[in-house]
Amino acid sequence: MSITALLTQFGDRYLAALWTTYKLTALSFILAAALGIVITVMRISPIRPLRIAADLYVQVFRNIPGAALLILLVYALPYLQVVLSYFTCVLTATTLIPAAFCSEYLMSGMNTISPGQIEAARSLGMTFLQMIKNVVLPQAVRSSVLPMTNLLVATMLTTALASQVPLSPTDLTGIVSYISTHAVGGVTAFLISAALYCATAVVIGQVGNLIDRKVRILR
Amino acid sequence: MEQGQKIVGKEPIIELRHINKHFGSVQVLKDVSLTVHKGEVVVIIGPSGSGKSTLCRTINRLETIDSGEIVIDGAVLPQEGKQLAALRSQIGMVFQSFNLFAHKRILDNVTVAPRDVLHTPKKQAEAEAMELLRRVGVGDQAHKVPAQLSGGQQQRVAIARALAMHPKAILFDEPTSALDPEMIGEVLDVMTELAREGMTMVIVTHEMAFAKAIADRVVFLEDGQIVEESTDPKAFFDEPATERARLFLRALEH
Ligand SMILES: Nc1ncnc2c1ncn2[C@@H]1O[C@H](COP(=O)(O)OP(=O)(O)OP(=O)(O)O)[C@@H](O)[C@H]1O
Ligand SMILES: [Mg+2]
Repeated sequence: MSITALLTQFGDRYLAALWTTYKLTALSFILAAALGIVITVMRISPIRPLRIAADLYVQVFRNIPGAALLILLVYALPYLQVVLSYFTCVLTATTLIPAAFCSEYLMSGMNTISPGQIEAARSLGMTFLQMIKNVVLPQAVRSSVLPMTNLLVATMLTTALASQVPLSPTDLTGIVSYISTHAVGGVTAFLISAALYCATAVVIGQVGNLIDRKVRILR
Repeated sequence: MEQGQKIVGKEPIIELRHINKHFGSVQVLKDVSLTVHKGEVVVIIGPSGSGKSTLCRTINRLETIDSGEIVIDGAVLPQEGKQLAALRSQIGMVFQSFNLFAHKRILDNVTVAPRDVLHTPKKQAEAEAMELLRRVGVGDQAHKVPAQLSGGQQQRVAIARALAMHPKAILFDEPTSALDPEMIGEVLDVMTELAREGMTMVIVTHEMAFAKAIADRVVFLEDGQIVEESTDPKAFFDEPATERARLFLRALEH
């Protein structure tokens, strides 16, 4: 089938799929960033059990394959009387994993902060959380815009996991198998999805560069 | 500089009692006791590695101690937590390397702690900060970030940042050692002015002429011990009582 024919027949479905992918990506990224920040604060907190738990989290979720995690969520959780919708299962997998990477990037962003600034914050009477809020996180975030941009792209690609469960509307990867079973989409159906992923990644990259240039900290 | 009829109070602001401190197996503070009274300017001098910075940093527990007691305006400095933060906020600190917050504008560097720690309303904090910045001569830099300022300007901002907390005392650890020579004077001038206004100050410095002029009391530290303490800085610098202080001062002249 030609691209035009495919798009005439499945155009609406592609739009819906694109929307599913964007929605999953945005939700995952926001949740991953929030979780990543919490994990990071735990990793540098003065409370040892928190540090250990958070380090463990990062080790586990940085190394677990996305598909394995999704299988666990879909098939293992029901044994624990936890039944999540397919969408929630995918969203959980695509949040837990990027959160670990987010924390890693924030940790390296923190290395750009001179220890003297931490001492200055403490000498001004800031508590640990005040110091995190005023001095540490703002600088860590602003110094990790580029890795975070990459993480956003990686998160989008991870949402392809959604194709492994029945979702309606399905995502950009899921639609390729849908078309293959309903028409002779062949490689063209795949190329359209790939092009949409790529175009989105390029836009994200450009915006990331712009933001980085704007918020980069003069030293 | 003429100190004139400056009055040093009898009220102790900082009391160090029998402080001992080790780094690993090396003892860097040996039974150090020191009282700083309200309005007093105490200058700590001594050879490199004698423990001056460590002493200064123990006062607000940036450095923990092994034994002894630190009392700030009548309250014993606690080990950790909120109370420690609260007591710290009463003692300002100015570092050799300025340590301004790199991502914040000069104005925000000065207002952040008053707003978050003292809960001063934004308007008031900013008005006070502008006033302080003008006082140290950098009012026109308020909207820049630290990296856009010279070292001397950054250090004056650091002093304003400390002052914004209305501290009971300010600690200075070699505030001019990282500065180009032509900028040392502007920082020392601000400190001299502060001393004149009655601020309680503990100053670690290698600027002996400045020390002689500004000190109400000189503490000579060597090998983690207070070897000599004098409330007559002119006499101390002209003719120290101990041989070790004499050797130290003589070595500086060459
Ligand atoms: N974090 C640390 N770990 C181990 N040893 C340290 C540490 N900080 C300082 N020391 C040691 O403690 C001793 C006192 O150091 P301190 O920095 O207080 O000296 P100082 O009088 O300020 O010297 P300087 O004039 O060079 O600044 C030195 O022998 C130093 O090597
Ligand atoms: Mg020192």
